[in-house]
Amino acid sequence: MSANKRYGMSIDIDKCNGCGACMMACAVENNIPPAPEAANDRRGVTWIRVYKVDNHLAYPERRTAFVPVLCQQCGHDTPCVHVCPQQAVDVDPETGIVGQMPERCLGCRYCMVACPYHARYFNWWDPKWPAGMEKTLNPDVAPRMRGVVEKCNFCHGRWHAAQQKAAAAGQREIDAADYVPACVEACPTGALRFGDLSDSSTEVAQDAQRPESFRLLEKIGTEPKIHYRSRRDWVREIASAPRPEGKDGLRG
Amino acid sequence: MASVDKEFITRGLRRSSTGRFLLWILPWVALLVFGLYSAGLCLVKGLNQTNMDNRFAFGLWIFLDLTVIALGAGAFFTGFLLYILKIDELRSVINSAVVIGLVCYSGAVTVLAVDVGQPLRSWFTFWYPNVHSMLTEVTFCISCYLTVLLIEYLPIVLRNRKLHDVPSFLVFEHELHKLIYVLAGVGTFLSFFHQGSLGGLYGVLRGRPFAFREGLAVWPSTFFLFILSAAAVGPSFILLTTWLVEKLSRKRLVRPTVFRRLARISGLLLAVYVLAKAVDTLVWINRTSPGTGFQAWQYYSWKPFGTWILFAEIVVFGLLPALVMLTPRLRAHTGWLVTAAAMACCGVALNRFVMTVQTLALPTLSFDPYLSYYPSWQEVGTFLAVVAYGVLVYSFSFRYFNLFPEERELRLEAAAQEEEELALAGRY
Amino acid sequence: MTTTRRNLLKFVGGGAAGALLTPAPWRLITDTALWSENWPGIPRPARGEIRARFTHCTLCPAGCAVRARCVNGQPVSLAGVKPHPISHGALCPWGIAGHHLPYHPARVRQGPVKEALAAVSRAITQRGAGERVAVLDLRPGRTVSWTYRRAMAAIDDGLYLAPRQPAYAIDLTAAKTVVSFGAPLFDGWGTPGNVFAARANFRLVQIEPVETRTAALADVWLPIRPGTETAMAAALAGEITIAEAARETGVEEQAISAVKEAIGNSPAVVLAADPGSPLMSLNAKLRALGRTVVARRESPVPDAWKKAAPSTEMAAVPDKAIRVLLIDESLPGGYVPWQDIQPKLAPNAVVVVFSSSSEGYARHAQYVLPAPVYPEMAEDIGPAIDTVAAVFRIAAPLIAPVVPVVNPGELVARIAGLPQTDPLRDRADAIHKAGRGSLLSYADGKSTSMKEVTADDFWKTLNQGGCWMDDTGKKAAPAGLGKFGRSGTCPTAHDLPLAVVVAEARRGGLESPLMSKLERESNLRMTANRVALSPADARSNGIENGGRCVLETACGRLSVVAMIDAGVPAGVVEVAGGPRMADLCGANQRARVVRA
Repeated sequence: MSANKRYGMSIDIDKCNGCGACMMACAVENNIPPAPEAANDRRGVTWIRVYKVDNHLAYPERRTAFVPVLCQQCGHDTPCVHVCPQQAVDVDPETGIVGQMPERCLGCRYCMVACPYHARYFNWWDPKWPAGMEKTLNPDVAPRMRGVVEKCNFCHGRWHAAQQKAAAAGQREIDAADYVPACVEACPTGALRFGDLSDSSTEVAQDAQRPESFRLLEKIGTEPKIHYRSRRDWVREIASAPRPEGKDGLRG
Repeated sequence: MASVDKEFITRGLRRSSTGRFLLWILPWVALLVFGLYSAGLCLVKGLNQTNMDNRFAFGLWIFLDLTVIALGAGAFFTGFLLYILKIDELRSVINSAVVIGLVCYSGAVTVLAVDVGQPLRSWFTFWYPNVHSMLTEVTFCISCYLTVLLIEYLPIVLRNRKLHDVPSFLVFEHELHKLIYVLAGVGTFLSFFHQGSLGGLYGVLRGRPFAFREGLAVWPSTFFLFILSAAAVGPSFILLTTWLVEKLSRKRLVRPTVFRRLARISGLLLAVYVLAKAVDTLVWINRTSPGTGFQAWQYYSWKPFGTWILFAEIVVFGLLPALVMLTPRLRAHTGWLVTAAAMACCGVALNRFVMTVQTLALPTLSFDPYLSYYPSWQEVGTFLAVVAYGVLVYSFSFRYFNLFPEERELRLEAAAQEEEELALAGRY
Repeated sequence: MTTTRRNLLKFVGGGAAGALLTPAPWRLITDTALWSENWPGIPRPARGEIRARFTHCTLCPAGCAVRARCVNGQPVSLAGVKPHPISHGALCPWGIAGHHLPYHPARVRQGPVKEALAAVSRAITQRGAGERVAVLDLRPGRTVSWTYRRAMAAIDDGLYLAPRQPAYAIDLTAAKTVVSFGAPLFDGWGTPGNVFAARANFRLVQIEPVETRTAALADVWLPIRPGTETAMAAALAGEITIAEAARETGVEEQAISAVKEAIGNSPAVVLAADPGSPLMSLNAKLRALGRTVVARRESPVPDAWKKAAPSTEMAAVPDKAIRVLLIDESLPGGYVPWQDIQPKLAPNAVVVVFSSSSEGYARHAQYVLPAPVYPEMAEDIGPAIDTVAAVFRIAAPLIAPVVPVVNPGELVARIAGLPQTDPLRDRADAIHKAGRGSLLSYADGKSTSMKEVTADDFWKTLNQGGCWMDDTGKKAAPAGLGKFGRSGTCPTAHDLPLAVVVAEARRGGLESPLMSKLERESNLRMTANRVALSPADARSNGIENGGRCVLETACGRLSVVAMIDAGVPAGVVEVAGGPRMADLCGANQRARVVRA
């Protein structure tokens, strides 16, 4: 048995141009259906969602940054895990990935209430694809039914495939190059990096140590494994609690 | 019009004619049908029929469920006072309390079944229970306690005049009655536990610093606050409903001393609760919340939920009714009593509202917007079905079962007094 | 032992109790969970042989190399090709979901092909003197563009119309300072992979009125008054004083001098949102020509193709001159506003559009013929603005067309009576004959000199995942950047109070239904039916956030949803691009927003 991994991600906000390629790649990889007509930004399903964040100032002082938010894979006191009444959420000790079993989920949405990052999504509608488009579904991921909660699992299908490949080759460890989540692979700017945080030689582990690195709501104490970084002071402030003033004029 | 169902009405009690009764239940039946249609839509088409969303994952239903279960606490708490603490005066309201408890709990469970995305998987909680989850505790205790309530309700049904004629029912009822102390004990234990778990539901939310509370042992402080507040308003709600039934049926059902007793108990507990809540709030403002990086003042700078809501919850709808109910001079007036009881009930509803709705409306991430939510008509309709169902069950129970054991006695006393007055009038 | 009722009951009871001790009933309970997982109506993804196939994305001129993961030949996901020297494995969100386009519910699925052909041939034979037959090619520079030009040369008075193609390419790798006048450098300009690979080595000065994605990541963003770009350019060129420019543009003097200094000291390049803009000629002043702005070279074409019609711009066509207009809108590209086309049409003109979308010219044409979509058709891709060396790459079809489609190139060739050959193969052979450059194969990442490749192998590799790249010859200065001069700078006072700024360039054509993730489900990108206003303008017009309103220009009205954003300057309305918006605004950049 190899040493346990602690998979995590580092996100360079100064590189993210908010193009949304990660969101598209994620939806394609994980068989997330297109939104029904009535869906909006509060009822959509986007395992990774790029938020447009600003410095709360008006034109021309306004500055914008794009912040991709996915499941933060909390490593301590994981809020969603211990609230689920029927063990549909768990942390894989081997990878540190917070898993969601949609086939076990009752749809009570308690985990969504528990998650401070709003990284969990409920299937408000039956999943529907335009006629013929179901042919483009990824065979490695089962589509979910209406009425269950789902979220990012660092592309579990890909991890599984990498494991199978390693097993077929008689190796105990997977090759790091074989396991990269779809969003990281798709990011055209190289803002997203993925790897084992417990291995100090990986890029992500080094990114996490940088002085401009931060995590969202670190003080809550859930030890998230997504490390953001920015050289802009105002961007690093998004890590902390909300500030009520100057919230007018937000889009959407 | 003569009552066709006269045979079923408890001997010695006066009930309205069948026609009047049908007229009374008709609008409630209509409401029930509408509500069932709304619930049906949510079940068939899915929860997209509601206005809940990923951020407002809990809505009207959870808020009202929590409220209803707190108000229904009168059932267990009256049982506890009567059977365990032997406050015999409360025997005159225990049956009514059991019916109210049953209505509240079964209604809440039904709404919960509509509220979950996959109701057919409800049993998973029993099959794959996560013992660390407050919701597992809630589910187990509520379903067990609902069973207890059903068993407690059975003797009330079986004592119906017509059913009493069946000998085996009589025996069964008698046997059940022997169990009542055990049931009261079990019910009390379960109730204490799930009222607490419902509070724990929010108190454990580390990711929602507005709701998160530090705790004693494995339970956050909200666990105990919910028990206290439920125990405090349970008697108030019994008082309120009994008074309401008296007004609606234009009958005296219990002696005024019972009202005063209920109010005193309620007031006492409410005072303790307000104290505990105040201490908890201070600890939260000064320690718990800042510890998570959130300054408590900021929660109250998102309009319309200013500090007024905290003041309303603790002082206006907590301390004030407690003082009224604890002041003997005010307690002597039914008007004051009922007002205070209603205020106490509102206070608990407000507390549950704050815990559910305000918690979800407040942003957690710095770039979150502050959100609002209005329930859809399907959500409102589904809840109205529960209200209608409750009124109907209570109406039928009131008509056919003896919910207030003192009613006949009071009626005879009143008749005697009237006669006496008539006689006096005749003499002079 | 006799069978009594009691015994039977005992047996059944015992059996039931015993069964509880076996795993069977418990297993059954668990299995019902699996049953509820396979809810009816949820599609099951097909399983089968998984294989990677290569192609190129045709959704924009970047033509990024694509690696498609296919199950039984059906693409299920697309990714970039990492070792590609230009696209560097990057894809934009549209490219990532390109394989959904054939199944788009709004796709044009049928069209009156016979009627259209009959009407066209009738019009060609019956047209009067001076009446022209024209092809409008929205994506010039492709091999099929050559087909159109040859076809129009074969027809009397044939006319090949196309938006102006820049005669230059930009070498970002050679620039240390990039001054962009609203060019969406990080959001659709050039080849994404190429831009981001070069990003670390240049400083970006973005000059535009609103903070777009590019401005947000620029090293310096100069928020300029809309329509005053020329004044800024004049200041940078030293034609007016910095103080004058500052007054006109609203940008601080210091900021302008800093930019002026930077471009004087380092290899710089000036980019404009419109590649044909006179602003581009500022590059001549910066001595950028031949260094960062270089002459474009085209890949070789067969000698037989040299008899081809020249490219004409729409504006150069006399009014009412076009009798037959064939529009190739099969690939999303530069949209020519309809109000620029309409005056050129004869009163009895026949307009045929090849398109998969009903949003663009399909709204104006008599005949809409269903065109193939990516990745259904073999096609090459025109040159990208940031590709210096000539390249030739084919978008090999990954699937057969899912609806009956018309191949626009073949149809136009047929109308003109051109010989029926495969122009892509002819072109490939011509390139092979020239013997220059090298062939990169994606499957193994190997680059081979063209001298060592046979014509058949070349063709095979092009179709199975590969691209031809010309030798990087000596950089030459481009011709035809025009002369820079000040003309019509400030928009004159007008009764329409708001300047229209396209904050989100949207290509026309179909997009994956999954784009809802970036639009409605996250508001990350502006949808075509939205506009953004400053709080002040919204207030003065009584417009609420998210409220319905009408966008009015001199050309028409459009119902839109307004968003209020303190990041939008007063006097500006931000819109997303697209054919409808282009028809509405066109060159006319003033508008008014009123409550619906």
